[in-house]
Amino acid sequence: MSVSSLRRLILILLLFVLGAVLSIANPKFLTLGNLMTLLQEAALYGIIALGMTFVLITAEIDISIGAIIAFTSMICVNFLVHTQIPVVLFVPIAVAVGTLIGMANGFFITRFKLPDFIVTLATRGILSGLALVIAVKEGGFVSNVYIQNPAYLWFGKEIGPTHIVTIVFFVLAIGAHFLLKHTRFGTNVYATGANINAARLSGVNTDRTIIGVYALVGTCASLAAVFISSRMMTAMPELGIGQEMDVIASVVIGGTAFSGGIGDIPGTVLGVLFLALIKNGILKLGISPFVQPIVIGGLIVVTVIVDTWYRRLAERMISQAALRRRAAANAAVAAKA
Amino acid sequence: MATTNTQASPILLECHNVTKSYSGVVVLKDVDFSLKRAEIHALVGENGAGKSTLIKVITGVTPRDSGTIVFDGHDLPIEHTKSAALDLGIGVIYQELSLINGLTVAQNIFLTREPLLPGLGLINYKKMNADAQALIDKYHFPLKATSPIETLSIAQRQLVEILKALSGNAKLIIMDEPTSTLTSSETTLLFDIIRQLKASGVTVVYISHRMEEVYALSDRVTVLRDGKLVTVLEKEQISPAEIIRLMIGRKLTADETKRVMVRKGGEPVLEVKDLTSVGRFYGISFALAKGEILGLAGLVGSGRTEVVRAIFGIDPYDKGDVYLNGKPYQPSVSRGIASGFGMVPEDRRQQGILATIPMTRNIGITNLDTISKFSWVSERKEMALCHLGIDLLKIKPKNPDINVGNLSGGNQQKVVVGKWLVRNLKVLIIDEPTAGIDIGAKDELYETIQRLAREGISVICVSSDLPELVRLTDRIIVLREGRMVKEFAEGHVTEVDVLKASSGILEGGNQ
Repeated sequence: MSVSSLRRLILILLLFVLGAVLSIANPKFLTLGNLMTLLQEAALYGIIALGMTFVLITAEIDISIGAIIAFTSMICVNFLVHTQIPVVLFVPIAVAVGTLIGMANGFFITRFKLPDFIVTLATRGILSGLALVIAVKEGGFVSNVYIQNPAYLWFGKEIGPTHIVTIVFFVLAIGAHFLLKHTRFGTNVYATGANINAARLSGVNTDRTIIGVYALVGTCASLAAVFISSRMMTAMPELGIGQEMDVIASVVIGGTAFSGGIGDIPGTVLGVLFLALIKNGILKLGISPFVQPIVIGGLIVVTVIVDTWYRRLAERMISQAALRRRAAANAAVAAKA
Repeated sequence: MATTNTQASPILLECHNVTKSYSGVVVLKDVDFSLKRAEIHALVGENGAGKSTLIKVITGVTPRDSGTIVFDGHDLPIEHTKSAALDLGIGVIYQELSLINGLTVAQNIFLTREPLLPGLGLINYKKMNADAQALIDKYHFPLKATSPIETLSIAQRQLVEILKALSGNAKLIIMDEPTSTLTSSETTLLFDIIRQLKASGVTVVYISHRMEEVYALSDRVTVLRDGKLVTVLEKEQISPAEIIRLMIGRKLTADETKRVMVRKGGEPVLEVKDLTSVGRFYGISFALAKGEILGLAGLVGSGRTEVVRAIFGIDPYDKGDVYLNGKPYQPSVSRGIASGFGMVPEDRRQQGILATIPMTRNIGITNLDTISKFSWVSERKEMALCHLGIDLLKIKPKNPDINVGNLSGGNQQKVVVGKWLVRNLKVLIIDEPTAGIDIGAKDELYETIQRLAREGISVICVSSDLPELVRLTDRIIVLREGRMVKEFAEGHVTEVDVLKASSGILEGGNQ
């Protein structure tokens, strides 16, 4: 078994162990209602994690997604409060705004050769400010809009016991998997992240690939914003700020390498479920929710340490196999002589 | 310029008056370069002669300033792109291989040109793998289409690069120093393949510093010097000595590849006893005398580099003892530097230079003990050291403030050697001292190393360049598969002897 499939197996085992522990500790954990809520929570930021997987495999980073959520949900609220435009029309517009923001991130990074961290940090600042500027105000104060439009609230509803966002997440995950593994764009994503110079020399349009992954994660973030605000039945300019932490954590836990070139969608789905389970568990065990970011931060560090360690191990195994092969080849040359 | 009956033309590529300058410095001046169909054409010249720039201009990596390039009847515009060059059939095999780890052989071969299933734009993996395997089998390469790239040897990866070019119907394949990382048997295989390519109508441009290879392979040779075309030699005019004379404009001295070894006496400075690192090398023992130049020979992967890395304290070893001046010594990099060791690593760009910072600090960094007090670096002393290094090694340009990444390869290597030479050095370890360095700079480095030895510094020199070992060293130890198999200490030695020992052909055996 390869080290990467061993890693995946361990993650799946941990998922079940954690689930078992929680079921024993709190009987309310293993109820249909709680599991569906857990999946809904997972799906809300899992949608963004799908896009973020592409970004990390390309060896890029996007820390503006939280601000994209805030900004997009403010756009939706403005449509709801100030216009009669139907939901089916303005939601695609709001999602497209996320796409454009992502493209702008990618454009500045590739066109002006700016560091990804700086560009998306700036975007984060600009968008969270803009979200405040365009927030619906009463008497100069940001008003807490209560969303009542039934068409918009549909995004937060269920079909049977399953939330719509959960279904959307799993459908998108399948789509993302095919996009990553079975299309030229996906191959270019791996190539760009594994070795950008080699990719360029092979004729890969790395700039377009990078712009593409940012557009993708921007789209995912604004789509998630619609689901999040619909579920909360309200939208604030602070909505989603800081979400990048959970999103990046679940992608990294899922086995995608920060250094690029490694990772896949099934891993990310597992990482998303794992993180949702941890967060749900913290609540169900009656621990303060303030502990959540501490645990998540710790998990990122542990995961990266373990990954670095086993990747070094795998490299060593490969190089030793190469040494053995070479020794055999040299012996063959000697025998011939 | 394009004509309609191009297919009949025996000329594949025609460059005329190509000129290119970088920030005011002219690196190519009115160069004419032409290639026939199905020929092996060597492009030679010292570092900085303009070979790489000419290739970059042809392949569209950098735009030229002026001049015309016609390839296969197509006029290449000044700012053509790499992918346009690929589409026309120009393939390049770079020194730093352009393959992607994590992708398979087939995925690498067809990157950006993957066959698609009708409809959604999904990749047809079945067809892609079958096509790749068919291509591999056509040329009888020892490869499997579905192997991940990172499991292949360097030589195998080069084959994948060649297939990548061929799969795009390359009419021209440019190889930049393809043999610099290959063992001799792999080199022989590559030559067969190059001839096979020629037979199937492909033109190969071959860039190399190894004159024997150019001599053995080429139909024609284009010589560049200082960004200008010197001459084009036809097959019957080619001889290694003539090419070198044209490249550098002077004749090399005498027969430098055969020498009489004389054992250096005196107290051993460094002694290594039964050094073993499992999987890397076993039972390495030798004593290094004061002022001796010891060569470590062997094929790539024989454990040469690993031995010197262990002695310098970079990698741990499992067993054995090291003695410095007769006293037991536990290798570690910081202790090594303090006791007078210096190390010039194999990979200059990755391990040797600090490309983004000036020459002064590159030289100062290993000498902070002598140029700083209470952690405060004296820039005056650092500058003085740098000037000393510049003078000792004739580094060009004589500008201490220049970022080392902007120097030529030869001068970068001088900086890496220089940062040790300005110290009170006892043992200098050099791994591949002249890899990718032009012949003039090589001579200077050899003279410097030999002068150092005369002044009492002991040198361990690891090299794949056999003429270099024979010419430079006082004694040669040959490693094979991590073990010492032969020592040439006294009497006549030729590169053929060393090569035989390295590849396991025993002395006294026929051929």
